[in-house]
This record gives sequence, C-alpha cells and structure tokens, in this order.
Amino acid sequence: MNGIRSRLFGRGRQEEPGKKIREILKSIPIFDGLSKRELTSVERILHERHYQTDEIIFRQEEPGMGMYIIESGTVGIVSEPASMQFSELHVGDFFGELALLDEAPRSATAVAKSPCRVFGFFQPDLFSLVERDPRLGVKIVLRLAQIIGSRLRRANEQALTLVEELRQLKQSGEKR
Amino acid sequence: MMRTLEGRRIRPARGILVLTIVIVTVLGLLLVGGVAGLVVIAALLAYIFDPAVTSLEFRGLSRTAATVVFILSLTALLCLLSYFLIPILFAQIDLMRSEVTTEQTDLIISRLQTLVQQNLAVLGMEELDIHASIQTFKVQLSERVMKFLVEDSLALIIRLVTIPFMMFFFLKDGREMKKQLVQLVPNRYFEFSLDLLHKMDLQLGNYLRSQFLDALIFGAMSTVALWLMDVKYFLFIGIFAGLANLIPYVGPIAGVIPAVIVSVLETGDITKAIYVILVYVGLKLVDDFAVQPMVVARGVDVHPLLVLLAIMIGGHLFGMVGMLIAVPFAGFLKVVLQESVVTFRKYRFS
Repeated sequence: MNGIRSRLFGRGRQEEPGKKIREILKSIPIFDGLSKRELTSVERILHERHYQTDEIIFRQEEPGMGMYIIESGTVGIVSEPASMQFSELHVGDFFGELALLDEAPRSATAVAKSPCRVFGFFQPDLFSLVERDPRLGVKIVLRLAQIIGSRLRRANEQALTLVEELRQLKQSGEKR
Repeated sequence: MMRTLEGRRIRPARGILVLTIVIVTVLGLLLVGGVAGLVVIAALLAYIFDPAVTSLEFRGLSRTAATVVFILSLTALLCLLSYFLIPILFAQIDLMRSEVTTEQTDLIISRLQTLVQQNLAVLGMEELDIHASIQTFKVQLSERVMKFLVEDSLALIIRLVTIPFMMFFFLKDGREMKKQLVQLVPNRYFEFSLDLLHKMDLQLGNYLRSQFLDALIFGAMSTVALWLMDVKYFLFIGIFAGLANLIPYVGPIAGVIPAVIVSVLETGDITKAIYVILVYVGLKLVDDFAVQPMVVARGVDVHPLLVLLAIMIGGHLFGMVGMLIAVPFAGFLKVVLQESVVTFRKYRFS
C-alpha cells in the first residue's frame, strides 16, 4: 500500500536530494537565504552531468543555456583560440551564471581538468520556476541581479583605477 | 569529425544517432504493443493541459495536488457534459436509424435519380437507387456508432480509465521524464538538446493548444447554431465541424457539407440550406477575426501544397482520423525541423 502511495504521490527515490549538493547550494550566493523547501525545489530542476578529464563542458562562442555547480573534480576556464587558462575552479564553485539571464555566446570554454560531477541549472528551468513559484523565482533572480550588479560596480572601480594609473603614467612620461 | 582543445576526436553525428535509435526503439515497442494510440493521446492531452496544472501550482499547490485537482475537475466536467449530451446522442442515433424522408425529399431524390440514370447510364449507373443508398448509409452509420458505444463499451471504458490514468502521470512526472530523457544525451550535445527542446516546447505548445482550443470553440459554436436552427443531428455535425476546422482551406467547407445535406433532405428545399451556409460563413468570420486572434498566439504557416499532401497521406494511412491530424502533424514536423536546423547552426559541431 505504501508502495502504491509513494508511486502515486511520493517524490520517488531519484528526486531525493543528496546531502552534499544541498550543502553546496547553501554556500552559493545565488541561493543564499533560501528555505529548505525552496532548496529542494531548486535541487529538483538541476541536471546532473559527469565529465571525463579533458572533456569540454561548454565551448566559447556557443549559445549559453545556464550555469554549472561543481560537486566533485576540477574545471578549467579557458580562452580560445590561444587555449589560455585564466581560472581553475574546484568543488563548490560555479560558472556560466551569466547565461541564466541572456543567450549571449559563452565568453570562454569550460573544460574538465579531472573527472567531474557537476550540476547544471538552466535558463528554461529558471523561467519555468518563476512561472509556477514566483516568490522563489524572484528571490533567485534578485540575488543574481545583485551579484551581477556588485561585479559591475567592481569592474567600474577597476576601470577607474586603471584610468587613474594611466593618467599618472602619462604625467610621469611628460615630466621625463 | 572535429578536434577538441586537447585533440580528442568527436563524431558529430554520434549523439544524434544514439538519440534517434532510442526514440525509434521506444516508438517501435509502443507500436508493437498496440498501446501507442493511448500513450500518444494521453501524452498529447497532458501536454495541452500542462499550463492549467502549472497555474494551479502558481496558486500554491504542490505539483501532485495540482494534478489531482485538475484531473478531478476535468472528470467532473466531462461527467456533467455526458449527463446532458449522451441522451441527445442516443436520441439522434435512433432518429437516424428509423427516420423516413419527407415527400418533398422523395421528389428531389427521384428527380436526381432520373437525371443520373438518363445521363450517366454509360457509366453503369442506370440501376442506381439513391433513396435506398441514403437509407443504407444512414442505417450503417448509426449502427456503427451504436456498435462502438454498446458492443465496444468495454474497450471504451478501458480507454476512458486508462487515458486519464496515464495523463495523471504524464502531468505529474512530465518534467522528470523530460529530465531523464535529456540525461541520455551525450555531453557534447547536452546543451544543444536542452536549447532545442525548450524552443520546440515554446512553439509547439502554443500551436497545439491554440488548435485544440479553436476546434473546441468552433465545434461548440457550430453545435449551438445548428441546434438553434433546428437542424437534425446537430450534435454530430457540430462536433464534425469543430474537428474539420483543424484542416485549413478544405476543413471549413467539409464542415458545412453535412449540415447542408441534412437540411435539404429534411425540408426538401434549399432555403434552409442557404441559411445554414450563411450562418457558417458568419461563424467562420467570427472564428477568423475574433477567436483565432485571441487563442492562436503564433501560427505555424504550412504551405497549401503541403497541407493538401499531408491530408492525402494522412487519409491514405489512417483514414478520417489521419486527415484530421495530418495538418497539426505537418505543423509539428515543420517546427521540429526548422528549430533543429536553426539551433544546430549556432553550435560548432562541424
């Protein structure tokens, strides 16, 4: 009887969240402040993927569908065509989150540096979540906007610092 | 073939081949099992009604609770409709079996028969008995409907139970099923598949739902109009008109023909038939200028030649049902191919 009930109304074994990914999700700023129920809703729409060493996760210039969260392994972020690695990401890190907001081509290639287990969080699923649970959807989108806003502010500050340094360099060059 | 960053070789067609094999195998097994029709109908209905369940989720219900509420509401609505419509349906079948034509109709048929016998004798039609043919056709049609309702009632009940049962699971677990399906796709084609499925879902969802809703509204309008005009068999003809409306160009004409024939046979005069045609023209105008702009979010343009070919092929393969689903199916294929090509071009597979 319990079996029938769980088949009809249960969430099924496959949907039972793993403890590790739950802990990782809690530490990701985008999902900061979500309740246990809300985190379960997010877990349910994640896509689990496995990559071998040197396997491409996504490729530069291809359309982006969403972000990935590393559950195990190491991922390199590489700029093509020079194959220059400018970042290495580890367990708990996430990448590709800009693709959650637009379909602009990926700005770099992501490649597995060791056997990896990652969870994908994609734009169509986020939009569907916004549609059926707007309160949760808005929380995630707002956090995403805050993260991007703070990055923009940091980029502006860096740009201002660079302009200032450039001005000083020009001045010192003129004095010489 | 292409080379990855590290020089590993990837065959672009491999992923698509694997996916095609999986889909073909599943479809093949379903066809062999003879349950394909039921599964397809249940899946299609679940797909059409998915936004209704999502809107219940929006009101705070869990997916399971929303699905239960929706299925119960739909069952209640269908029971209510059946309570009113089934007696009318049986009455119309009885009428079709027993009815004799009026004197005026006999006169028209006799004239037509003389005309055919005199002019088309060369085609071997001198023995034609139109009156008997019409009567035989009506009896056969009514008997076939009655046989379907009474003798095949067990199969009908099984279908009526199985389809909502399957629909329940498609509605409740549809998202998880889709996720599991995408999980089978190789890593290289994973994002491409997600992208493609999402775009197809947007286009097809709108198209199928609007077609379904339009057929339902046009069918209801026709039934009510024919009932008000006191046309016999209004329920059969109205339902047929709604279904025929799914077929562009020829559908609206095919939908009005039974109503015209019944009107002429009933009164022996073409006056009522002319009114019926005028009402249908009015209904079609309402459909084109009021209903469709409201329910059809974005149409899928299918070329008239393709429509004709699709109807012929559908009719040849699956008869009347094939003709009705041919155009939506052609629209489905067009969207699938179009989106596949557009999305494929954006990825660097070759």
